[in-house]
Amino acid sequence: MGTAVTTIVNDSPPLVPEKRPASAAGAGRRGRRENAAGYLFMSPWIAGFLLLTAGPMVASLYFAFTDYNLFTSPEWVGFDNFTKMLDDPRWQKSVEVTAKYVVIGTPLKLLLALGVALLLAQSRRGQGFYRAAFYAPSLIGASVSVGFVWRALFSDDAIVDRTQSLFGTDVGGWVGDADWILYCLVALTVWQFGAPMVIFLAGLKQVPRELYEAAAVDGAGPLRRFWNITLPMISPVLFFNVLLETIHSFQIFGSAYVVSNSSCGPADATLVYTCYLYQKGFKEAQMGFASAMAWMLLLAVALVTAVLFWSQKRWVHYEEAAR
Amino acid sequence: MRRGLAVGSGNVERRTILKAAGASAAALGLAATTGCGGDGGASADGTVTIRYAWWGAEERTKRINRTIALFEKKYPKIKVETDFQDYVAFWEKFQTQAAGGNPPDVFQNSVAFLRKYDKRGVLLDLKSQVDAGNLSMDNFRAGVEKVGQVDGKQLGIPVGSNTMSLVIDEKVFEKAGVEPAQGWTWDDYFAALEKIRDTQKVAGDTGYFGIMYLYDLRLRQNGKAFFTDDGLGFDEADLTEWWTDAYNRVKAGIVTDPKKVEQIKPKSALASGDGASEFTWDNFTVRYTTEGDSTYGLAPIPTTDGKQTGQYLSSLMLSASARTEHPEEVAQFIDFMVHDPEVGKIMGYDRGILATSEQFDAYQPADAPQKAIAQYEKDVAEAGVLGAITPHPAGADTVEAAFLRIAGDMALGKTKVSDAVKQFFSEAETALAA
Repeated sequence: MGTAVTTIVNDSPPLVPEKRPASAAGAGRRGRRENAAGYLFMSPWIAGFLLLTAGPMVASLYFAFTDYNLFTSPEWVGFDNFTKMLDDPRWQKSVEVTAKYVVIGTPLKLLLALGVALLLAQSRRGQGFYRAAFYAPSLIGASVSVGFVWRALFSDDAIVDRTQSLFGTDVGGWVGDADWILYCLVALTVWQFGAPMVIFLAGLKQVPRELYEAAAVDGAGPLRRFWNITLPMISPVLFFNVLLETIHSFQIFGSAYVVSNSSCGPADATLVYTCYLYQKGFKEAQMGFASAMAWMLLLAVALVTAVLFWSQKRWVHYEEAAR
Repeated sequence: MRRGLAVGSGNVERRTILKAAGASAAALGLAATTGCGGDGGASADGTVTIRYAWWGAEERTKRINRTIALFEKKYPKIKVETDFQDYVAFWEKFQTQAAGGNPPDVFQNSVAFLRKYDKRGVLLDLKSQVDAGNLSMDNFRAGVEKVGQVDGKQLGIPVGSNTMSLVIDEKVFEKAGVEPAQGWTWDDYFAALEKIRDTQKVAGDTGYFGIMYLYDLRLRQNGKAFFTDDGLGFDEADLTEWWTDAYNRVKAGIVTDPKKVEQIKPKSALASGDGASEFTWDNFTVRYTTEGDSTYGLAPIPTTDGKQTGQYLSSLMLSASARTEHPEEVAQFIDFMVHDPEVGKIMGYDRGILATSEQFDAYQPADAPQKAIAQYEKDVAEAGVLGAITPHPAGADTVEAAFLRIAGDMALGKTKVSDAVKQFFSEAETALAA
């Protein structure tokens, strides 16, 4: 039973006992030693971060203000790359495609993740199997081979098209159709709802049973209980998922590249932001422009994140705020 | 009470984690690659290692590996490391390697990249090695060695020659009662496509209008060319006419639906039976026989005046890196690869008709497609239509990609012809200026 699980979780002592030091002086020495050990264990990560992330980021920030074709040394051009970008119809197209993908794909994915998490939160026979089965696509979803499979599924006269033709709604394959191919990518991301689902599940498990019991005594129906108890109680988890999935969606690259057969087409219909960035940088060797694009993306993601954090005051409920 | 506390403190912790996770996730916008440099020189026993890279399918790789085994047997002091990708991936990787100062010592090259990488100092002028006697420029057929010459430098050594051609589905053409002939005109060609549509219920051409090399031929038939030494050799009016006609022909159903072509990729719409003819390089024709189940033949390029096709011999070449530490060994390697008769027998016409007479004479094509290719180039040469190639300006590869892409948008009806033309000229100018 579910209650048994929650009881264990809530009443059992913490797995790692909290050690409160007896004297402040001893704590300082031990603290420093512990810190040193911590840094030692972190050093591979720190080195990797400095060499592979921070260093290239600084370099790319510099390149963003230069004209750099990889071969001749970068030439300082100030904000030229950024103004060129705004005038570039293909850049505008890439922003439009990415925005469409984020705005359609992310909510759909989260809705499905929450829906399935609600179903799986109850104890049922074989729930372990279902959880694993729904989570599996998230594990393999990023791989190139899934992109190929997707392309095959949504091609002309392939399974999706044939199923559609049974209902007389076939479009002759989504992959070659500039109006449909983006939804093929949306379907691919929605299919990988397993990761947010697991996080939702964890959140749902933390909602105290008594609240539901009390609400039931007061005569609240399932819908009301969901709306007034479940949703507020899991809103921090929901916030986390919205944030993570939105940021993740902005970075779509692999699936667009593979499903479009590396063209980001047809008619630039899958020209997502990173795809255009990649074309500019690695195919056309305009590294300065590509770097400027990358920083623009960072700014956009930071802005969206900031808006989400700002908005959480209105809809995310942390329990201590209620106390 | 206790439960309340536990949940509460759990939440504080969770919130911090959530915030921290959000912030660090936000920082994940960027990644950059770094080129890696440094390559081994000669080892203690005097053995030298050179790196050889090419693009192509599995079949080419199998053949090339056999030629390398032959080479290493004859030159035991030279080891060859290999690397291959498909065309697009090859040039992406090459560009990154070359920018990092670490391109392969020897690599497959084509006319679209000569000026681009010469301008950036990547290519070795092989003339010095020819003068030093490590590389022979004798016995190249039909002056094809000129394809590798730019501004007086020998930047590439041809391994084979090829020319643009029209590949047809012979069964469909026959059933429709259409027979292509040397000197036929564009009007004849499009009339043939109409006949094929009407009698065989299939589109005739798989999308001629986006092929830069074909448009080059058409321009050459009219005294222009796609490229001059440093820019475009045609104007907006030329392209508007070419693409307006194309758009109407797609709508009329004599050209394969571009949507269809898109989905069949990387397979060709000719091989899948969704088109009856396709313009391409003659040495590519081998693929249709493996991909499709009809019989495929080579037909002449349509003309404007009934005579000139605008064709020229192009070529895949071997080029060397200007940074190679072993120019002498590299030259010996190239010399072996283009002159050795055994290599010719192994390679066949995979990279075009063999470029030197030693190899051409050594290889006797046995299968029908290879024989057809040889016959085709013989016919074209005899028809006296072959002109000289224009070396492409730097940026030509980007222009080619833009031409294909924008033509596709236009054919799908996603861009008006006038906008497509403007977009192409603007992108081409950027690419050629870079």
